[in-house]
Amino acid sequence: MSEKLKVTNLVKTFGTNEVLKGINLTVNQNEVVVIIGPSGSGKSTLLRALNRLEEPTSGSIVINNVDIASKGVDIDTVRENIGMVFQHFNLFSNLSVGENIMLAPVELKKETKEQAANQAKQLLKTVGLEEKFDATVQSLSGGQQQRVAIARALAMDPDIMLFDEPTSALDPEMVGDVLAVMKDLAKKGMTMVVVTHEMGFAKEVADRVVFVDNGQILEQGTPEQVFEHPKNSRLQDFLNKILNV
Amino acid sequence: MKHKVFKIFGWAAFLMTLFFCLSQTTITAQAKTYQIGTDVTYPPFEFANKQNKYIGIDIDIMNAIAKEEGFKVNIKPVGFNAAVQSVQSGQLDGVIAGMTITPDRKVKFDFGTPYYKTGVVMAVGKNSHIKSFKQLKGKRVALKTGTAAADYANSIKKKYGFKTVTFDDSNNMYEDVTTGNSVACFEDQPVMQYGIKQGLKLKIVTSPANTGWYGFAVKKGQNKTLRLKFNRGLKKIQANGTYDQIVGKYLGNKTNPQVKGKTFTIGTDVTFPPFEFANKHNKYVGIDMDLIRAIANEQGFKVKIKPVGFNAAVQSLESGQIDGVISGMSITNARKAKFDFSKPYFMSGVVMAVAKNSKITSLSQLKGKRVAIKTGTSAADYANSIKKKYGFHTVTFDDSNNMYQDVTTGNSVACFEDHPVMKYAIKQGTKLKIITKPAESAPYGFAVKRGHNQALLAAFNSGLADLKASGTYDNIKAKYLGTNDNDSVAKTAAADDSDSRTFIGLIKQNQGALLSGLKETMWLTIVSIFFATIFGIIVGLLGVVPSKFSNGVSSVLIYLFRGMPLLVLALFIYTGIPSLTGTKIPAFVAGVVTLTFNEGAYIAAFVKGGIEAVDPGQMEAARSLGLPFGKSMRKVILPQGIRIMIPSFINQFIITLKDTSILSIIGLLELTQTGKIIIARNLEGFKVWTIVAAMYLIIITLLTWLSNWVQRRTKV
Repeated sequence: MSEKLKVTNLVKTFGTNEVLKGINLTVNQNEVVVIIGPSGSGKSTLLRALNRLEEPTSGSIVINNVDIASKGVDIDTVRENIGMVFQHFNLFSNLSVGENIMLAPVELKKETKEQAANQAKQLLKTVGLEEKFDATVQSLSGGQQQRVAIARALAMDPDIMLFDEPTSALDPEMVGDVLAVMKDLAKKGMTMVVVTHEMGFAKEVADRVVFVDNGQILEQGTPEQVFEHPKNSRLQDFLNKILNV
Repeated sequence: MKHKVFKIFGWAAFLMTLFFCLSQTTITAQAKTYQIGTDVTYPPFEFANKQNKYIGIDIDIMNAIAKEEGFKVNIKPVGFNAAVQSVQSGQLDGVIAGMTITPDRKVKFDFGTPYYKTGVVMAVGKNSHIKSFKQLKGKRVALKTGTAAADYANSIKKKYGFKTVTFDDSNNMYEDVTTGNSVACFEDQPVMQYGIKQGLKLKIVTSPANTGWYGFAVKKGQNKTLRLKFNRGLKKIQANGTYDQIVGKYLGNKTNPQVKGKTFTIGTDVTFPPFEFANKHNKYVGIDMDLIRAIANEQGFKVKIKPVGFNAAVQSLESGQIDGVISGMSITNARKAKFDFSKPYFMSGVVMAVAKNSKITSLSQLKGKRVAIKTGTSAADYANSIKKKYGFHTVTFDDSNNMYQDVTTGNSVACFEDHPVMKYAIKQGTKLKIITKPAESAPYGFAVKRGHNQALLAAFNSGLADLKASGTYDNIKAKYLGTNDNDSVAKTAAADDSDSRTFIGLIKQNQGALLSGLKETMWLTIVSIFFATIFGIIVGLLGVVPSKFSNGVSSVLIYLFRGMPLLVLALFIYTGIPSLTGTKIPAFVAGVVTLTFNEGAYIAAFVKGGIEAVDPGQMEAARSLGLPFGKSMRKVILPQGIRIMIPSFINQFIITLKDTSILSIIGLLELTQTGKIIIARNLEGFKVWTIVAAMYLIIITLLTWLSNWVQRRTKV
């Protein structure tokens, strides 16, 4: 398995607050890595640093052999290959569902409107929303919006997908549809980094689970290792809290 | 919605009809009115001016004579041939149309005393080297069909061997020469002279040939009284200088080569009767105005009068925005430091006036009382100089009317004013009385910036001397101040008051001025909104781009222009910038620049705010797709931000419209300034401000409806 993404000694500080304290993490091709940890542990910051939505303070992030943390890099080109899905979907509210998906391909890949529209319809089909092409964003439920957001990210044909708590803002009955789409993606071999509280998803889909607390990776391993035989006491505490509600 | 639109149109139609009806005033004649025919257009003898009023040497002479002799004339510009025929058929009483007295015509007409000598001249292009008929050999010459000049040219054509080409009107003929198609043209001397005065690029190279006289004609054996009246009147106007003035007005007489043909911008007060004030046709008249126009006429230059207010005029002169000031300006040593003054043209002095029923009779009774003065006047200086001695305090106003009002309402017990001004105002019905003798008598002078425009100053002095010699100066003075037994102006002014004091009467009388003020207001608003929007969007965007420097620039611009009072900004731009750079700024441009910066700063602030109000997740999502900042802005953030900004835009447009009123300070003749001027004349403050306020409200209502409609359209 080849290395897709390698984070070395990543530090991020906000003022005097050190949020990431030297993270080292490798993600291989086709691997699904799930990051768990308590709120405020730095897991979202870590994920957002991977496409430089957060500017790293120090350390390197090498994706496809390019250090995206270095100054000279053209971040826009790098981002074209990294899909990002947000907790609050962030669909463009001035555009229709179809236009949300078509925007980047038309603007960046110079696809014609027809090509982009066909692709968008195809993507909507894979997330089970083919009839929503002309719908306004406001008319969709949260779960539908998140599935459109995934389709939008996929439209640029990325080789890594980042998910930042994709189901946290959803009503419980919507969560299943979104996770199903993500599972489907994993099955197709997409390299994924997912920050989530959905332990069920982690157990079922993750190749590796990473536990982050207080800006550091305290433990990582297969779902079985992490969930069944946690070694770190803080991880044990964390699992106790969320699994025995 | 549709109903509302109709309502708007209905209103507009109603108003237009109203204005239209009001303009249809009927004139009824009482005394004997003679019907006089004239040509449609034969400048400078008869032609319609911009206001479509017939003027010209013939018209003015006829009117002057009618006035002298106490009869009325109805001038009918029916065309030369029609006029001549109508006199023959008895439909018209006489004809005055640059009509040459010929033996042929004498058979059918009786002519009055010849009133103008004319002759045919040859004119060539300004740069032409042709000086005589001999040089025309083989060349082409332009003529106008059916004129005496054409007849003359044809009669010498063979002798000098030139070819002719004929045109139907003078302009085409002139053009043929200026463009070089023809080398010369033939024309009646006064016509040619007037054309050149009006800017034609031709020069007269021969002395008048084939000279003849123009005469006023009536049908043979008829209308003897009219003809005799004409002769008598002509004699009178030739004796009293009116004739020379009329001819001079159109053809210029003694001109000063250094100022000839130049246009000077002359600043004056908004209202300082009897020196300057707008008459009911909204034309500026008064001693100063008549004097400067007469001098300009005499010296052959043109003046553009800018009634911007005394202070603004003085400041504009200092900053070089205008060329001179004539504004009842006393010659003082302090002013001499900054300005060069002409020879004094009027002697004035300061008097104190109190309310008609006031018991105050002397300065000593002012102790502890409040006295109204007008800023920057020598009357104010005088009042301030004796303030301590008599123990009164002062309150200052920007114009005379407000000052008078303060006294009539009893807020102040007295005011100080220049003697002639006070006298005139009281004559016009201001309820004040003068209780002191003129003090601090000071001469009024025409001012230019020190060391500048010396030619203009010299021309003023020489023109003034000429006017004094010819009696015109005295006529002007008498016209406004009255001689001992004659206060005709005051009487007529009072006479036309009665019917013009109602709302309808005021609208009727001032509709032209009000509408053009409204037009100026609308123009200012539209142009300013346009530029302010551009400026605001640019500065607003600078505030949100990821560059500390741009953000800083944006913040500073917003801080600077939003923090400055509009009035100060307007004065700074209009009078400050020219002082610094030495280049003039037209008031309109200064006004637009002022509004662009001020309103633009507000727009920038809400553009910035509108963009910042868009969920930051939208930008993150766009950027995470790989869209660059600019594209993300354009495709995602701005469309959402603009929707947030629209109500603020509408609000700002309405504010801009209202803020144009502040620009009256730099003399822009917009709606508010127009109102001020009208009130300055008729003192009907309440009614005129009501009309002006209603006009603003109507426009703002229309703008609000339009905006609401736009807003509804953009809502998703």
